[in-house]
Amino acid sequence: MEKPSLPSVNKMLKNHRGALEISFGWLFALIAGAVILFLAIYLSTKIIGTSDETISAETGKEITVLLNPLETSFETAQTTSITISSETRINNICDSISPFGKQALQLDQKRFNEWTNTDTDISSYNKYIFSEDQIEGKTFYLFSKPFNSPFKVANLIYLTSADDVYCFMNAPTEIKEEILNLNQENLIVDNCTRGSIKVCFNGGTCNITVDYSDGEVKKGKDILYFYEIDDSNALMYAAIFSDKEVYECQVKRLMLRLEQLALIYYDKELLTRKVGCDDNLGTELIQLSSLADNLNNSADLNVIKINAEDITLKNNVRKCLLW
Amino acid sequence: MVNENHQRVLHSSCNPTESRRFFKRGQLKIQQMAFMLIGVTLLFVFVGIFFLAINLYDVQKTATSLEEDNALSLVSKLANSPEFSCGNSFGSSRSNCIDFDKLIILQGLSSKYQNFWGITKIQIRKIYPEDETICTEENYPDCGIINLLDKKVNSTAFTSNFVSLCRKDLSESAIYDKCELALLMVASEDSG
Repeated sequence: MEKPSLPSVNKMLKNHRGALEISFGWLFALIAGAVILFLAIYLSTKIIGTSDETISAETGKEITVLLNPLETSFETAQTTSITISSETRINNICDSISPFGKQALQLDQKRFNEWTNTDTDISSYNKYIFSEDQIEGKTFYLFSKPFNSPFKVANLIYLTSADDVYCFMNAPTEIKEEILNLNQENLIVDNCTRGSIKVCFNGGTCNITVDYSDGEVKKGKDILYFYEIDDSNALMYAAIFSDKEVYECQVKRLMLRLEQLALIYYDKELLTRKVGCDDNLGTELIQLSSLADNLNNSADLNVIKINAEDITLKNNVRKCLLW
Repeated sequence: MVNENHQRVLHSSCNPTESRRFFKRGQLKIQQMAFMLIGVTLLFVFVGIFFLAINLYDVQKTATSLEEDNALSLVSKLANSPEFSCGNSFGSSRSNCIDFDKLIILQGLSSKYQNFWGITKIQIRKIYPEDETICTEENYPDCGIINLLDKKVNSTAFTSNFVSLCRKDLSESAIYDKCELALLMVASEDSG
């Protein structure tokens, strides 16, 4: 094979000059620069994401801690508010898994006019928050009421955004008074403002209709059932402020707690019998516990109500009250 | 400059010693750059780890502080929760009153209530009259310490609140309410 002559090699190199003009130093600088830039962008995105998750988790936990003082002793209702520095969307996540279900709050915050979706949720097992499944705003109002059936089961917490104004029309006097006493800015009575959510107590074209005597709250096509054996109206407010999914799940969780409490009172009756206290509620408490365990949805609450009323009467005539 | 290189390449292709020296120099440059690359990467990794460590420490500190806040706010309200509270069983409604009977029953249900309050330890200690005996179903009510919850995890120091510990007792065939002074103590998880 013939060797190429020197002028022809020179010609070849001349033709490929462009390829040889990038020195190794330049090539290294370009590759290293690209890698460093890519890493910097990737890590910044990750760090911003993690910081969003952290903020969401911290705020969620702070809210959960703030809910502790809402545990009432003998007060009828308590109210408080939370203001978060940036526009926030609270996702109310409820899980009715045994033994007591789970309440979780997941917070998304607005950044550059976009909602940052976070996966971190803050869970608690002893809180019952009633709200729409997603509420938005900067200021949120919370008020709580004890739920008794027939003994105290839990404090129900109602979470609303300051942006959602609820207007109660033709409400019974005790409800009107209670709302006025709460002094919560987004709860108004009769003089409804434009854009407010109208809650009617005697029918009419409203966003929410309450049938007080039948224990029903109608929201569009959904009907949520409630009952009261005292005058607290705790479940009625719960049905007004939450959507069907959250309400049904929280009611199921309440029944899980009621089931356990009924068994505790059953054991207490056995204990107090040793010192001479009466023994008249055993069967009813076991029955109540079993009914609570088998509750499917709020439509079954009426059976619990009948049983709870019967137990209340029997407890009131005891020598030693069980609760 | 480029032409000089071309000349060197052409020249070295003819001279084997020159050619070896030229490639050795190239190898050295590649080695230098490889070391440089490793150095730069390591620098970034160390800086990253340093910032992550600071960040993680802050998150852990915040988590512990929030858990402590939770315990602090819970201890003042725990006595009023239905599992503890006296309700109306001892005459009029009492705040910060714990039903001793319920506690001893609850002690047997600790596995069910393990995560319920979001804290790691709950202890109720009778302080007047003082009694160091740990309560069991057998020695109840002649005892003074109830360990209601004791998770085997790192915990913060106890936060406490004074409560009255009440139960029904019998004296010469008459049932009466016996209330004693006690301390309700709770501890939360220490994430740090």
